[in-house]
Amino acid sequence: MGSAPSPLPSAHGTPTDDLPAVRPPLPVKMVVAGGFGVGKTTAVAAVSEIEPLTTEAAITEVAAGIDDTSMTPNKTTTTVAMDFGCLTLDPTLKLYLFGTPGQDRFGFMWDDVTEGALGALVVVDSRRLDDCFPAVDYFERKGMPFAVAVNTFDGVATHPLDAVREALDVAEEVPVVSFDARDSGSVRDSLVIVLEHALARAVAAA
Amino acid sequence: MTRQSGRSDPVPQPPAGAGAAAHAAGSTPAGPAPAGPAPSGAGSSQGGERASAVRPFMVTEGRVAAEAGLPVETQVVATVEGLRSLGALAFERRAIVEACGTPLSLAEVAVQLRLHLNVVRVLAGDLRASRLLAVHVPRAGTSSDIDVLRRVIDGLRAIPTSVGSRDAD
Repeated sequence: MGSAPSPLPSAHGTPTDDLPAVRPPLPVKMVVAGGFGVGKTTAVAAVSEIEPLTTEAAITEVAAGIDDTSMTPNKTTTTVAMDFGCLTLDPTLKLYLFGTPGQDRFGFMWDDVTEGALGALVVVDSRRLDDCFPAVDYFERKGMPFAVAVNTFDGVATHPLDAVREALDVAEEVPVVSFDARDSGSVRDSLVIVLEHALARAVAAA
Repeated sequence: MTRQSGRSDPVPQPPAGAGAAAHAAGSTPAGPAPAGPAPSGAGSSQGGERASAVRPFMVTEGRVAAEAGLPVETQVVATVEGLRSLGALAFERRAIVEACGTPLSLAEVAVQLRLHLNVVRVLAGDLRASRLLAVHVPRAGTSSDIDVLRRVIDGLRAIPTSVGSRDAD
């Protein structure tokens, strides 16, 4: 595992045995949610500094009969547990991005991942809007700040954002944006929009 | 179609398999709550191609996570004593301390070592109790901390993206 980490000096200048050998960063996390095959993992991969660590299991093994692949012909696996990436924003701050499972039946995993998250990005394929309903319902119920990001596959937005907002019936302050899950800048900007929404709520509540 | 007409309820539903280890271990998962046995591992350590022959409850000696409340991003780091004691540790405990020479989240440890997330939680609790591992639980309220939110926003804006853009194709 590379070179030995240098011990932190204690107040007396010598390492104390039960101190961490290296000071960890403050971990913060955001959630990327949405239906099956909508681009969650792609979005995480676009901004993560590591290859997303994922516990994908082949759809034929775990999710057969649950997912409808007809709209996503190239997708051969689905995320059944969770996947995540991370971004070291500075040496003291590390952002984790967790993709939540797309299927209702794995919804029980969400609390484990979403507890304490700064906010959520709900990724939407406007051709299959109803796939994101469970996620939108979930974050509304949790009172967690979220934004809806319509994935413009191949740069083509199939539905105007107004129509998406109307169909989702989200609160006025919930941002609804379009983005390209493959583009790091686009994903980054969408995450910032979630955080700005979260910040506005935190400031209002302060 | 609107959301109201298509509303479905993502009520937690532990799959049959995920609770089996905890039941076999003679404990009662707290209903469908997140305190239940780690469903994350269902895909990695049980459903994966390289599933371990050792059942999670054997690694934890039958215990389920007393540390179930630890968030997945909780940072774990080997202590000085932990790194010094590597030789006295075995198997998963040693692997965890070794991997945590640099700080890692519980989730990263679970993936790196191919362990059930809740197994990592149990073992991290043990190692913390023996002062071999420092466990840094994120402060409650961080998610609505204005300073933290501003720092994350600034940090995200500062990352270079033009070169980092990756196309899956």
